Amino acid sequence: MSNPVNPITTEIIRNAFNSIAEDMNAALIRSAYTPIIYEGKDCAVALLDDRGEVLGQSLGLPLFLGNLSLCVQIVAEMHGWDYFGEGDVIFLNDSYIAGTHLNDVTVIVPIFWKGKRIGFATSRAHWLDVGAKDAGQPTDAHEIYQEGMRWAPTKAYRAGEPCEDILTFLKRNSRFGDALLGDLHAQIAAGSTGKDRFCALLDRFGLATVWAARDDIFRQSAEMERQTIAAIPDGTYRADGALDSDGLTDDPVPVKLTVTVEGDHMTVDLSGSAAQTRGAVNCGATQTVSAARVAFKLLINPKRPVDGGTFTALEVIAPEGSIFNAQEPAACSWYFSSLGLLIDLFVKAMSEVMPTDAAGAHYGDSMVLILTGYDDAKNGELFVAVEANTGGWGGWDGSDGQDCLINNVNGSFRDYPIEVYENRYPIRIQKYGIRADSGGAGKFRGGNGSYREYLLTNDASMSLWFERSHTTAWGLFGGQAGKPPEVVVTHPDGNEFRALKSNATPLKAGTVIEVKTGGGGGYGDPAERAADLVQADIENHYVSTAAAQTAYSS
Amino acid sequence: MYRVAADIGGTFTDFVIEDQKSGEVRIGKVPTTPDNPARGILNGVNQLIEDPKDIEFFVHGTTVGLNAFLERKGARVLLVMTAGVSDTYTIARGHREELYKLHYRKPKQLVPRKDVHEVVERLGPDGAVVTPLDINSLDPIIEKVKAENIPAVAICLLHAYANPAHEKEVEDVLSRELPGVSISLSHSVAPEWREVERASSTVMDAYVAPVVELYLATLKKEFLDVGMNQTIHVMRSNGGVMTDVHASRHPITTLLSGPVGGSIGGVELSKSTGLKNLLCVDMGGTSFDLSLVVDGQPELSNETVLQGLPLLMSIINIDTVGAGGGSLAWVENGGLRVGPQSAGSVPGPVCYGRGGTQPTVTDANLFLGRLGQESLLNGDMTLDMDSTAKAFEKLGEAIGLSATELAEGMIAIGNAKMADAMRTITVGRGIDPRDFTLVAFGGAGPMHAVELARELDIKQILIPNFPGTFSAWGMLQSDIRHDFAATHYAISDDVDISQIAVLFDGMLNDGSKTLTEEGVERSQMEFMRSVDLRYVGQEYTINVPLGEDLDLNGAIDAFHDLYQARYGHALHGSPVEIINLRLTAVGRLERASVSTAEKPASQDPLASHRDIIFNGQSYHAPIYKREALPNAEMFQSPAVVEETSATTIIPPGYTFSIDDIGNLLIQAEENAQ
Repeated sequence: MSNPVNPITTEIIRNAFNSIAEDMNAALIRSAYTPIIYEGKDCAVALLDDRGEVLGQSLGLPLFLGNLSLCVQIVAEMHGWDYFGEGDVIFLNDSYIAGTHLNDVTVIVPIFWKGKRIGFATSRAHWLDVGAKDAGQPTDAHEIYQEGMRWAPTKAYRAGEPCEDILTFLKRNSRFGDALLGDLHAQIAAGSTGKDRFCALLDRFGLATVWAARDDIFRQSAEMERQTIAAIPDGTYRADGALDSDGLTDDPVPVKLTVTVEGDHMTVDLSGSAAQTRGAVNCGATQTVSAARVAFKLLINPKRPVDGGTFTALEVIAPEGSIFNAQEPAACSWYFSSLGLLIDLFVKAMSEVMPTDAAGAHYGDSMVLILTGYDDAKNGELFVAVEANTGGWGGWDGSDGQDCLINNVNGSFRDYPIEVYENRYPIRIQKYGIRADSGGAGKFRGGNGSYREYLLTNDASMSLWFERSHTTAWGLFGGQAGKPPEVVVTHPDGNEFRALKSNATPLKAGTVIEVKTGGGGGYGDPAERAADLVQADIENHYVSTAAAQTAYSS
Repeated sequence: MYRVAADIGGTFTDFVIEDQKSGEVRIGKVPTTPDNPARGILNGVNQLIEDPKDIEFFVHGTTVGLNAFLERKGARVLLVMTAGVSDTYTIARGHREELYKLHYRKPKQLVPRKDVHEVVERLGPDGAVVTPLDINSLDPIIEKVKAENIPAVAICLLHAYANPAHEKEVEDVLSRELPGVSISLSHSVAPEWREVERASSTVMDAYVAPVVELYLATLKKEFLDVGMNQTIHVMRSNGGVMTDVHASRHPITTLLSGPVGGSIGGVELSKSTGLKNLLCVDMGGTSFDLSLVVDGQPELSNETVLQGLPLLMSIINIDTVGAGGGSLAWVENGGLRVGPQSAGSVPGPVCYGRGGTQPTVTDANLFLGRLGQESLLNGDMTLDMDSTAKAFEKLGEAIGLSATELAEGMIAIGNAKMADAMRTITVGRGIDPRDFTLVAFGGAGPMHAVELARELDIKQILIPNFPGTFSAWGMLQSDIRHDFAATHYAISDDVDISQIAVLFDGMLNDGSKTLTEEGVERSQMEFMRSVDLRYVGQEYTINVPLGEDLDLNGAIDAFHDLYQARYGHALHGSPVEIINLRLTAVGRLERASVSTAEKPASQDPLASHRDIIFNGQSYHAPIYKREALPNAEMFQSPAVVEETSATTIIPPGYTFSIDDIGNLLIQAEENAQ
């Protein structure tokens, strides 16, 4: 029988897959130790079938989209499927397998039912410190060995028993060993949740029915996707841009993207993009596939949950040895900068044929400020304050872009409340606000970036990773580009310097750091902007009177 | 003398009237009067009670504040924050709730940026003054409020939870300069750290304040006019009640006044039946609300989010999913979906005959015989079976199912969704639902209860008296309750317990003062202390009870155990962070005695029979009238139990009986699937 389950059972099972993934995600986030996971949502979970295909996935960090599936399949290629034993817990972070930087650790919990391996409960989360050369994350690494420990697939538990030697090894090689083990266990807890609920589902419906429902679900997804692509005119669509630098030199790093639509199939080709760099803007091929999937998902059926039938119509070409398919020993810490640009460029390329779905570019990157030091008031305790900054997003047909929103490769990252930040670190946040006039003008203007002013009340060293001043957020259909980011550091003696990238720069108490992020690109001709919108922007101080006169008086 | 509760819903205001002496309970329903809800209440009182002077205790759940918020009809608010950081309110932490949305906009704030102003001052995290308050920086604000007639001001200054001095000074100045303007202070609304969440809560308080104050004053006046001069009590989001005076002072606490009645009713059921663990579900036309009673206690949170806006306030945990009688069936790529879209009341289900053509869950219940054509409103509304059958055949054809398969399938999908939500609040938190009794109420709850219980392997189901007005009944079972909090950040290996004692003493003073104001005798007061703990560096806290002896080590042990139970692992021995201290002040209210009156045995409970389909098979099932069912006699399913406010469907494989206080108890048979 081609379809032994009825649509009712299929729908019940489909809802259950997604609900299981949601519960796994909730377990992970609520028991994680590092703010980057529970606040930044720098994590993802997926329930996979016996061949590693996605049954259910909750909306974690977009950049991990579909990536857990590939990880399990690569490990199976390396060691065979029987490597995954009952009661085992496997972890890995190898950038050339998982694609991302070493801080992102994938944990795989094989699921057995009636003695048979029938799936995997998997998760990935950003661990605060995996023993890189500098606390937090170095910005100047040029080999992966400087970025922390690199783990091929390794067992933390075997047949239900903890591998104490491995756990101790992990703990001793991190600056925050307790948090590291805490986060590992949070991921294991997510795995147990997935395992228990999936087994309960199998108890109820049996394996044959669940697999038949799975096939039907995958078919539905694949069909929806092909219909959407078939509606896009055939053709080749291109866009390109560049990162400011790889963090070590001032040379731009070009990214070139070509999308080909042929019938109900789409290819994203990155040929022509930069060769892998000495600085850490590289990633493994797996992660490039994920980023292309995120971009694809932004425009193609964004509301449909991801499963094993999604992305069957998408092919990704990432040339070996390029920044998008880097080989050992390429450094990968800041891999996401290239991928954020990839996503923006995909939207730009497709805007020609999908003008109402597209939007102007966003400010582009995480804009990270890291401050570390030894807190004098707390007996010299080490502190590591890592924070991404929000910026402006692009306008689209019908609305202005959002002001001060976290970038596309981040999850639902929330900034730290000033009150929490100041309790925790010897740093005062003197100003935090919306950077007026930074969004690109347009019929629908780009969102504004943000500004923050930090006062160090203790010595600290500063690392910066601010990007996209070279390729700022472009506008679409006559909309203007947003402003680039800026960082100004003022020493206690009044001398100042500007930089967008730096590694562990020592600073004295009394130093003031002012960071400004870029705005988003506008959409449509500014001359067409409604007068009441221009007026409201002035009243709410999103746009100054002077800037409004320049941009909107036609 | 009577104790009266009124639950103001969107369409109807439900009444429960308890005779204080006999314990007899009556229910009633009158149309809600949205333009002035006080009038609806008065109509109900006039219809249901001969002499309003006989009302000794009146409590109600009001949706006035919530509706003002949902319809964005609250007051214009001006927000004052610390110089340099007032944009934090507008930025609202910069996160995205939807990750695959290129066209994302943040939830719209209640105060536009042009009405957010700054005052020059700055405190450090320990409450020490970094920059003294510059009173002159308030001048432009005062001028603007006067010139533009702004009715409400919210004040949220940085680190005010640690030191409220600057907020109090600002209040002094503003209340002097701006008489008649409603002022909300962040340290009073939510004395907890996190400026965005605190500002958002303070704004919400200010936003609903004028509306809630006016409503309560109107209601009070109208009550006085008919001779009822008792204090009006208002249900609050934390499941307690308060007097109208207190409600006017802290309007935000009335925000979720309505739905919590059901949860408190659950707590009372737990007491009267001895069942410690209850999973309470309230199913209406569009939504399905879930809450837990664990070990006889309701589950409380100290934070919630309404339409994307964060609120720091004590609130009974109620999860809501978009599933109800009105959930619509639709087809997508050969897959069958049910909800979350609802037919609402217009056009409503096909069977209402008001133009609906897409089958809903209610239609499926009718089609399968679970709902009788004359079951609604005691037969005042006849349902249209012909159109319903046609709608099922049409949609069934589109997806290759018979009309019966489709109808059963829709109920199965709807039930599975609700069951997933039930799993999420139990299994998802490390709680085994099989240790629970399912309590179902609301118009549609009893219809689905038994099948929902079966999905989670719950063996026992309880349908309380008057399930359609259970929330109102719950309100009569509540006590006066006030929650106090103080942020106190410390790490377990470096704690100054005397500082903690001072903070608790302060809250204890505030608590007994407030209760005294509310007319509570000292002997009826009770105070519970608790502390929010977490592992160092974590964000989410767990609230752990703390004894009067302030045995923090005991609380920390309890924290490790709770953590283990919830997440499957714990770091015994690792340092723990103390974040907030909390004090709950309870004033016990007197209740009516529970009615155990024997019912007249003369009436025949069996009303008729109806053909009902379960699992594709048709049964000729008996229809019982609930009010005529004798106590303690065992009945066998399949069966239907009908009453004015609801219909209970009991599929094959269950026995049921009425317990000595009138609850309908349904039990799975030993060998039932």
